[in-house]
Amino acid sequence: MSSVANRVVSVVNLGRMGFMAAYDVQMRYVRNHLEEMAGKPHVHGENMLLLVEHTPVYTTGTRDKVYSADYEKMLKKTGAEFLRTNRGGLVTFHGPGQLVAYPILNLHHFKPSMKWYVCQLEETLIGTLRRFGITGRRTDQTGVWVDHRKIASIGLHGTRFVTSHGVALNTDVDLSWFSYIEACGLPGVEMTSLSKELDRNVPYQDAVKPFLRTFQEVFDCELEYKMLEEKELKSVSVPAPEHRGPELSAATPTPTDLKEVGLRHMSTLAGAQASFFLPFFKPLLSSSPSSLSKTELSVPKEKEPKKIDDVVPGKERAMW
Amino acid sequence: MAASLARTALLPTYRCLSRINVSPARFMSFSRCLEARWFTKEHEWVNIEGQKGTVGISNYAQEKLGEIVYVEMPEVGATVESDDVVGCLESVKAASDVMSPCGGTVSEINEELKSDPSLINSSPLDKGWLYKLDLAEDVKTDELMDAEAYDEFCQNH
Repeated sequence: MSSVANRVVSVVNLGRMGFMAAYDVQMRYVRNHLEEMAGKPHVHGENMLLLVEHTPVYTTGTRDKVYSADYEKMLKKTGAEFLRTNRGGLVTFHGPGQLVAYPILNLHHFKPSMKWYVCQLEETLIGTLRRFGITGRRTDQTGVWVDHRKIASIGLHGTRFVTSHGVALNTDVDLSWFSYIEACGLPGVEMTSLSKELDRNVPYQDAVKPFLRTFQEVFDCELEYKMLEEKELKSVSVPAPEHRGPELSAATPTPTDLKEVGLRHMSTLAGAQASFFLPFFKPLLSSSPSSLSKTELSVPKEKEPKKIDDVVPGKERAMW
Repeated sequence: MAASLARTALLPTYRCLSRINVSPARFMSFSRCLEARWFTKEHEWVNIEGQKGTVGISNYAQEKLGEIVYVEMPEVGATVESDDVVGCLESVKAASDVMSPCGGTVSEINEELKSDPSLINSSPLDKGWLYKLDLAEDVKTDELMDAEAYDEFCQNH
């Protein structure tokens, strides 16, 4: 296999998708890499770049003991989900109006170094900003900044140098979601977005091409655009009606519905399917993620965070 | 520098090892012939002394990870198998899994890393050890590399 062939990265745009559903898609690709490296036959590890716009969710990284159950409760009152993940970094928010990219790369095809990989991702984000005429910079805090305002976050996981999780670039996200947290554990950090910096609305879609072009340059690879294949649909699709439990409503679409609607739309439905993972991820998920319980094809673009009546400002913030 | 010093210290052991390894009585005196620092392809090392092993990550690994800010380690008393994910090292917003080089029962973890995780960067082969374990009966080093082989592996990587 030539080195050029190794450096093909397949891009899949998952559209609007809940965090756990997208995480499941990530893990399928990670598993393919790991199984290929372990010598399992007929398995091909593909370098992927998953693009997604999440439904509102607060996530923490491996250092999650600082975030108590009360803190979790407080954040869930906003109407967002709260999930504990295995990535690096502290608490952050993902939601509509934020370009989230998950490169699932086997770094042996590039450079087996997490430090290098983080640097390349920062470079990609800075290059993306440059295409909008914005000067981004690095600081000693990982992420990308415009002056003293944070515009993009990075949080990764590596297992045998196979990467998961990734980056989040604020395009036109409602920045008030960040007011409930010390984003990335930085007290008083000011978050910003492309829309805020450019003083005009920059939707998620407008950031995709610049990001991909820069990614291609920085990682010196070829990008191939793909759709999520049917076999990957299984991870986010609904099982046959006879296997469904009583808690699932008849309104949940069947795999046939998904096929009819088309793969491109499966991502908006997949948000509803994420409720499937409740039994598997009970320790992680809240009891009823209000943002995912409805099947909505027309998910409202901006979701206002609910007002919290009983939060004592400052006291509930993360202490670390 | 620590790595080269460690290598020099281990050289006489290699010569003994190469003779003992071809002996058919290998498994009878396995603890003697396994005594050394062994490395995995994932850049962890295990220093075997008798029935006990000390595990850490190599200098190459700490360089590639960057400054370690948080260490997640196995529980004392946990039984681990070779190649199990036993912990996680967080550095520059990236959390990387640590695989166990061999099987056994975790007997001790390096408590100092809780307050000073950067010990792994400054002293990966010595003060930055991660955990110790009581080795399992059937521990093998077939998949592991001695320091010389590991250095070569890193250069060709």
